[in-house]
Amino acid sequence: MSDILLQSRPELAPGVRLQSDRLTGEPMLLSPEQVVILNATAHSIVLKCDGSTSIQKLLDSLATEYEASLDVLQGEVLAYLSELHEKKLVIFSP
Amino acid sequence: MSFRPYALLAEITYRCPLHCPYCSNPTVYPSGTDLSVTEWCRVIDEAADLGVVHVGFSGGEPLLHTNLPDLIRHARQTKLYTNLITSGIGLTEQLATQLQAAGLDSLQISFQSDQANLANEIAGTQAHEKKITAVRVAQEANFALSANVVLHRNNIERLPQIVDFILSLGIKRLELANAQYYGWALLNRAHLLPTREQVTAADDFVTREKERLRDHIEIFYVLPDYFMNRPKACMNGWGQRYLTVNPKGEVLPCPNAASIPNLRFDNVRSQPLTWIWNHSQSFNQFRGEEWMTEPCRSCPERTQDFGGCRCQAALLTGDAANTDPVCDLSPHRTIVDAIFDAVNGYTSQPPSLTARQNPSISMQNY
Repeated sequence: MSDILLQSRPELAPGVRLQSDRLTGEPMLLSPEQVVILNATAHSIVLKCDGSTSIQKLLDSLATEYEASLDVLQGEVLAYLSELHEKKLVIFSP
Repeated sequence: MSFRPYALLAEITYRCPLHCPYCSNPTVYPSGTDLSVTEWCRVIDEAADLGVVHVGFSGGEPLLHTNLPDLIRHARQTKLYTNLITSGIGLTEQLATQLQAAGLDSLQISFQSDQANLANEIAGTQAHEKKITAVRVAQEANFALSANVVLHRNNIERLPQIVDFILSLGIKRLELANAQYYGWALLNRAHLLPTREQVTAADDFVTREKERLRDHIEIFYVLPDYFMNRPKACMNGWGQRYLTVNPKGEVLPCPNAASIPNLRFDNVRSQPLTWIWNHSQSFNQFRGEEWMTEPCRSCPERTQDFGGCRCQAALLTGDAANTDPVCDLSPHRTIVDAIFDAVNGYTSQPPSLTARQNPSISMQNY
């Protein structure tokens, strides 16, 4: 999935849950067969996968949050969302 | 070195309306009374304290446990991810509503084949249509749903039809798992083990279809390990990630561990789960690499496959500390090859099938 549209709205796939680890406090995504530990940046991205925020808006707010340029962010964030999509953890609404 | 379990398999009952000849339950059920709801809740709490994040409710048929919604509610309150592994038999709209209210995260329904006649013959009961109804009920309740089909000689050639059937039900995730030869499946191996031709055709089909259907359905395919030349990384290593608690409260490093002779399992009624996980003989017996014999001991692949499956080593070579005989470096690989030759040589009817029985029935026999 390389052709993610910036106006699409990512959200957690059905049956996927975000919570913090009881032992370490780290944020993680849980699905029937997976446990994915999230770093701080990944956590910021996943928190915005709410089904109503577009990728464009997600990028804008991350750019502010991390004081980073959109050009740099866009490639990395799209790659990460695409990876979560491949793992069936995130889906995109048009 | 400390170990952390991530997943608990809670076998809450051995009772089941189905009689699948490849059931992984033990063929001789342990005695004793089943754990109470209070005891299960304590097991769930202790598992969460150890680091478990997933709990799979299984059996037997977990829907037969009258307090299943209570157990799921408790697991969710403990912040565990809850998965129900079911035949679907007994999933009424009312029960689905209760499970949903309890917070069930996902549900896996088994199918035996795509057609009612073959599926019912394998299940030993009229289950197929009821399973289709259960899928509808689960979909209406909006559960994250997957299907599981165990493959063996009598249904593996129907893989294309099975995949079409699952797609037609609107299911987005499918596990195609070749039977693993333990428990009832071992008893029925001569009847169930596919031929090499069948396995080759199935592998080719799945590799092709997985890619073609990737936007429609996620397919997981579990190879039959007898046909591989290196063993599976069974349980991701003994006592590393998983624990199973059976209906009687015994804690097992893997669901089939009871097939290893002389391995004693501690019970949650006598010991805290934390002690069992960290200190029991059964969990430490094959942890790490100390127990390994050659060729594993000096093999660079031991860090990837952990020597394969202890149960298989015990069942086929008589010693659980041997290299899994599936490995072609094992001096016992000839045992696996001889099993194939016998199966591939069948020209007439294989020996008759032993249908899985429920505890109450088999008690009378033993």
